[in-house]
Amino acid sequence: MKSGFKLSLVSLLAISLTACGNNGDDGNGNSSSPSSSDQPPASSAAPKEMKLTIGLPGAYDVTKKEIIDGFIAKFPNIKTEIVEVPWADFATKITAEIAGGTAPDVWVQENAIVLGYGIRGVAEDLAPYIKKDLNDADYISGLYASKTPDGKVYGIPHGINPVALAYNKKMFADAGVTPPTDDWTYADMIEAAKKLTKDTNGDGKPDQYGFAISQGITQGWYPWTRSYGGQVLDDTKTKAMFTDPKSIEGIQAWSNLVKDGISPDADFLKVAGGDWKAFGAGKVAMYFMQYSNQTIINKEFADLDYDTVMMPKSMDGKRIVPIVTNSWVIFSKAKQASKDAAWEFLKYYLSAESQMVLAKSGTSIPVQKNAITELDVNTNPKNKKAFSDGIAEGGVTTDENPSWQEWRLAAQPIFADIYGQKLSPEEGAKQIQQKVQDILDQNR
Amino acid sequence: MRREARWGYILTLPFTVHLLVFFAFPFFFSLYLTFTQWDMFNAPAWIGGKNWVRLLDDRSFWSSLRNILLFALVFVPLQTILALVLAFFLNQSIRAKSFYRVIYFLPVVTPWLAGGTMWGWMMNKTYGLANYLLGLLSLPPVDWLDSKHWVLPITSVALVNVWKGVGSSMIILLAAIQGVPKDLYEASSLEGASRWSMFWHIVFPIVSPMIFLVLILSTISAFQAFDVFLVMFNAPNIVPDSKVTPNILIYKDAFLTTKMGYASAMSWALFIVIMAVTLVQKRFEKRWVHYG
Repeated sequence: MKSGFKLSLVSLLAISLTACGNNGDDGNGNSSSPSSSDQPPASSAAPKEMKLTIGLPGAYDVTKKEIIDGFIAKFPNIKTEIVEVPWADFATKITAEIAGGTAPDVWVQENAIVLGYGIRGVAEDLAPYIKKDLNDADYISGLYASKTPDGKVYGIPHGINPVALAYNKKMFADAGVTPPTDDWTYADMIEAAKKLTKDTNGDGKPDQYGFAISQGITQGWYPWTRSYGGQVLDDTKTKAMFTDPKSIEGIQAWSNLVKDGISPDADFLKVAGGDWKAFGAGKVAMYFMQYSNQTIINKEFADLDYDTVMMPKSMDGKRIVPIVTNSWVIFSKAKQASKDAAWEFLKYYLSAESQMVLAKSGTSIPVQKNAITELDVNTNPKNKKAFSDGIAEGGVTTDENPSWQEWRLAAQPIFADIYGQKLSPEEGAKQIQQKVQDILDQNR
Repeated sequence: MRREARWGYILTLPFTVHLLVFFAFPFFFSLYLTFTQWDMFNAPAWIGGKNWVRLLDDRSFWSSLRNILLFALVFVPLQTILALVLAFFLNQSIRAKSFYRVIYFLPVVTPWLAGGTMWGWMMNKTYGLANYLLGLLSLPPVDWLDSKHWVLPITSVALVNVWKGVGSSMIILLAAIQGVPKDLYEASSLEGASRWSMFWHIVFPIVSPMIFLVLILSTISAFQAFDVFLVMFNAPNIVPDSKVTPNILIYKDAFLTTKMGYASAMSWALFIVIMAVTLVQKRFEKRWVHYG
């Protein structure tokens, strides 16, 4: 009796512990054993009566419902389940789900994170799928934003979000300053910004600024560093380059805008509600605008008369246009049939039909060439070519690699101190160099 | 007896299982993780003491310990003294006593998001109320939260934390003070004791076990500070070393960059520090805490 009781106790404990662990099955019958990402898909045709789970961070604010509905209508044999999660909570949720083997079959996330998933065996290598089913000539190079140096492709762009120079037409006209053109250099932009910075109420402090610099990477220190001839990481993405003299020169130019009072400081922008709101409210004449910002600016500042030109040219005449991509990723540990269904969805997403919907939405630029010609030029900014041509001429990711998230988080607070004039660019660059290089070395 | 014991085991089994699965297992598993590299997606890889060696050389971690030590040094004594004084006066026969008790307790039930945002604006260098008041006194503005000297932002946050936490400590101490027999006050009053003498020679010794409890709890919560920094510095994942705390670093490594092994090592290091500080407090307990 006593031994029977002990056995029951041990069994109960074992059951409890097993329930908490990963038993190799996601509870839906999906095996969690990794399928070889080197194997091409068995078939690109959607299998009959397939199940597909699509993870949608930000729900239909981020991904157009029209596209999802179109897919469901077109593929009735694929039983599609949509998992909507607020964007801010998604990273935490998906991490736990991946660890537990219960992640959706396909979901969208920041491209840099997707690259990290790739080296950890979480993201399916889509190179064989692309090779089999897509025609490269139909797409811009941004299709391969998730491509690694060894040729693997871990994601399909949800859309491309490039940066262009946005300017307030009225403020330029009022100040009698010639509006920017695609031929502007950084020096031209700074010169105009000086003329547009004004103390309109005579209290000794500017209340209208020529340009708002961003503290962040994409619209802030990355394009400035690169455009002054410097680098953030080297071409292999394994060496930090912040202490390169040209990099420091770029960081210096970036922080000087605040130091010289041409760009507002952090407090001013905080009160204004951010750079795009300061721009919308006519407190700032220019800023580096991400393509997706247009929807919210047009919504909140419907009367704002503004447009865009391409990013200014660098010192050497080249153009640096940072692009941000969110990417669709297929869970490598899903069943092959689910992966095939997920790829069917991605093919539909990349089709002309869906890419046109994306083009008209204004949230990001599609990667399909025909769809790019359909960008809405009737709403501000009317010069959408500033973005699309910008990608073609100088589109670069912000040196994304699998440890991007980590090194960016390490560098950002030091850049914030340089921006706030608490640290000199030289000293700051030294600190960033050490921190970022340590992270790159740890992740080798 | 054996039959009774068996029933005892059966009835306590759910709690035992709960304890083992949700407390004992994570506790020991996290210790094991300190010797591994684990990205949460693949099996942990044993790397020996590398995480601990890295910890010794991690400037951010040592800065976070320095910050949290100052935070505790400002927050714990200030909150405890203030809570004790408030509890003592709110135990007197004063008008609108309940009203004051509610007012002082209100910050405890105010969400950090609301309270922290409000304080963040009040301490803003350019537009804040604090500097406006200093300006009225012809004093220069202070960069409360963004000063490059780490002492100032950490002290500012500690003060805000006192505002948030003093109410709960006050309630514990008020309950203790209310347990002081009234005849002791009457007797000392007849002997001509001042209010200060009553407090120091009667109230303080009797409530000293509760003060000790408040000190221990406040110290532990100070070393684990997270949400106050989360709200006051806006972006917890990108705070500089001058404002970082161990829990922010642990959160960043565990959940933003999924380096669970190193995050576990930092958690255990923090645990050791808290345990050491608590033992030091315990060592001095007999010198001033009176039981019975």
